[in-house]
Amino acid sequence: MADQGLEGSQPVDLKKHPSGIVPTLQNIVSTVNLDCKLDLKKIALQARNAEYNPKRFAAVIMRIREPKTTALIFASGKMVCTGAKSEQQSKLAARKYARIIQKLGFPAKFKDFKIQNIVGSCDVKFPIRLEGLAYSHGAFSSYEPELFPGLIYRMKQPKIVLLIFVSGKIVLTGAKVRDETYTAFENIYPVLTEYRKNQQ
Amino acid sequence: MASSGSCNNCGKTSLVRDDVTGELMCSSCGVIQEYDQFEANIGGISGPQGTFIRVGTAGASTRYSDKQRKFFQAQSLIDEFTSRLGISSKISDIKTMISTITEGEFGQGDWFQVLIGACVYIVMRKDNRPMSMAEVGWTVGCDVYELGRMIKRVIDHMDLKNFDFPEFDIVHSLERVLKISPSFSRIDRSEMDRIHKQGIFLIQCAMKWFLSTGRKPLPLVVAVLVLVAELNQVEIGISELAKEVHAVVSTCKTRYKELLQKLVEVAQVLPWGRDITKKNIVKHAPSVFKYLETKAMLKPGAKRKVLDHPEFNLADMVSECSRQLDEHGHDSINLPSDSHCSISQNNINSTRPSTRDSNKILYSPECLSMLYKKYSDRVDLQEDCSEWWNGKSEMSKKLLLKQLLEKDVGFETVPPSFISNCLKCEMRREKISAAKVRIDRIMRPWNSDLGADDCSEKKLKRRRKLVDGVDWEDLIIETLLLHQVKEEEIEKGYYNTLLDLHVFNSGIV
Repeated sequence: MADQGLEGSQPVDLKKHPSGIVPTLQNIVSTVNLDCKLDLKKIALQARNAEYNPKRFAAVIMRIREPKTTALIFASGKMVCTGAKSEQQSKLAARKYARIIQKLGFPAKFKDFKIQNIVGSCDVKFPIRLEGLAYSHGAFSSYEPELFPGLIYRMKQPKIVLLIFVSGKIVLTGAKVRDETYTAFENIYPVLTEYRKNQQ
Repeated sequence: MASSGSCNNCGKTSLVRDDVTGELMCSSCGVIQEYDQFEANIGGISGPQGTFIRVGTAGASTRYSDKQRKFFQAQSLIDEFTSRLGISSKISDIKTMISTITEGEFGQGDWFQVLIGACVYIVMRKDNRPMSMAEVGWTVGCDVYELGRMIKRVIDHMDLKNFDFPEFDIVHSLERVLKISPSFSRIDRSEMDRIHKQGIFLIQCAMKWFLSTGRKPLPLVVAVLVLVAELNQVEIGISELAKEVHAVVSTCKTRYKELLQKLVEVAQVLPWGRDITKKNIVKHAPSVFKYLETKAMLKPGAKRKVLDHPEFNLADMVSECSRQLDEHGHDSINLPSDSHCSISQNNINSTRPSTRDSNKILYSPECLSMLYKKYSDRVDLQEDCSEWWNGKSEMSKKLLLKQLLEKDVGFETVPPSFISNCLKCEMRREKISAAKVRIDRIMRPWNSDLGADDCSEKKLKRRRKLVDGVDWEDLIIETLLLHQVKEEEIEKGYYNTLLDLHVFNSGIV
């Protein structure tokens, strides 16, 4: 955890981030198997921070304050934890949820914890000609301004989806480890500089 | 549908079943054949009563199977939509596409209409004559996003690549609106042609100025057309036109305002540019147009040379006006002799190489307004558009994106979203420094009050006022600063993430 905790106060490692920009992680989605059948109604009635509406969604939605996250808990014992800002936070949050379930009297374990998705974002600080990028990288990108203002870039290696906006803001999603997000950004950055609008 | 047997009149085998009555008739001599439509009474004694005949495609046992009926209905639906959209010439392409996608099955139900819409859109766009999704969606009765999802699926299914699926062509979209919109139908041809060319010119300028990037194309088209029509003394309501092309009215109005704002920015290079605001830009738009057009016609390399004899020489115009002023100056306007505006012809010639430079000369405001008033009177008198528009620039024809970006219209800008982002960053930076000052004052109260004892009460008041002016954002920034978060990180504005990572981080080991 130490390296993430101190990230804010350390200078950017230019070897790892040649562009000098480090994408900020905005959301981590993880799953874990509690390995026991759950009575959702019981959970919903006993836990204060839970909501359950079987007509709308077949899972209990539970929230905790710290780390500020939301979990979806299914009757099969599978759980999805969203909203954490780092991998460690996500794991900690998932452990806290498992503990809550245990306290409610279920024999919950903590099996197969896995990070499923990491979303990051950053700002390259120059405008981008999306039309030009879409034209020359047509195989990877889809730019339909009638439907969505950003250009959707599906990178093959690493397999990451990037949303690129004209203002120079980038969203990166689909990573399983944070380094994939960083690599994807370092891959796309030179391409973006090609289509930057020259600011005289 | 021909059936077996021969005509009992002429003996030919060209018998055809009439679709409406269901009777068999000979297509060569026209004789109706003897009655052969008798149907058995099905359903036994409790079944329906009477003698049953087949009429057209109705009836208990027509010759169509379920599959054929589905097929028939699908075809007629395709026919209906294509004729409603006025693209009947493309119908075979559309049918082939749907047939390959559904493997000859066609289909029934709501999804099939969306599929027709998607195929119509794709065929038209492949043909480089795109229709807007809004229009297609409106015709087939689904929303843009549903249609968009189907289009995406069709593209993936058919594996369409870049070269056979070009980008949405906004210029064609403009032409199409001009062609189909009832608002423009009452305008005569020559005027229409001029509006057409000016529209293309302006929309390509707007593309250069990032007004179209990442935005829906139709509202911009509407804004451009309304402005151009206005310049040609054609009254067209922005909301009517927006409704005709199924664009959102408020977005069209926003684009219109943005367009005016950009024109105002362009106009700043004109000598009287400082007087031009969003309110009077429409009146000045002709001169802005002229400037843009002249600039667009210059070759990048030959800039200097051509500028010596530009078709539209601002300096000449100013000097001409000032000469007229001099003539009248003795009786009506008394120009002070030391005024900056009494520029001799030589002076003007020396300022000619760049119109930008001429802006830097200090004309006294009252003199400028007089010059300008003279000129604007003249402009008002000559409403004929040929004065300010010649339409010979390449920009009034459709250009490829690359060509377009290489063109210079004398004005470059950045996207509005980028500008607002910069402003936000600037605002955050200010808030950060203000927060630092506040923190500093609390941590070292002696330092800040040093040598200011006499006005301590005043200061207290001011400080209290400041405290009142602090909002949630300031407090978050203060908290983050106190937790040693880097200023560059705060500047990005991802407060929630930073709070989670640095402030509410106690549970992490």
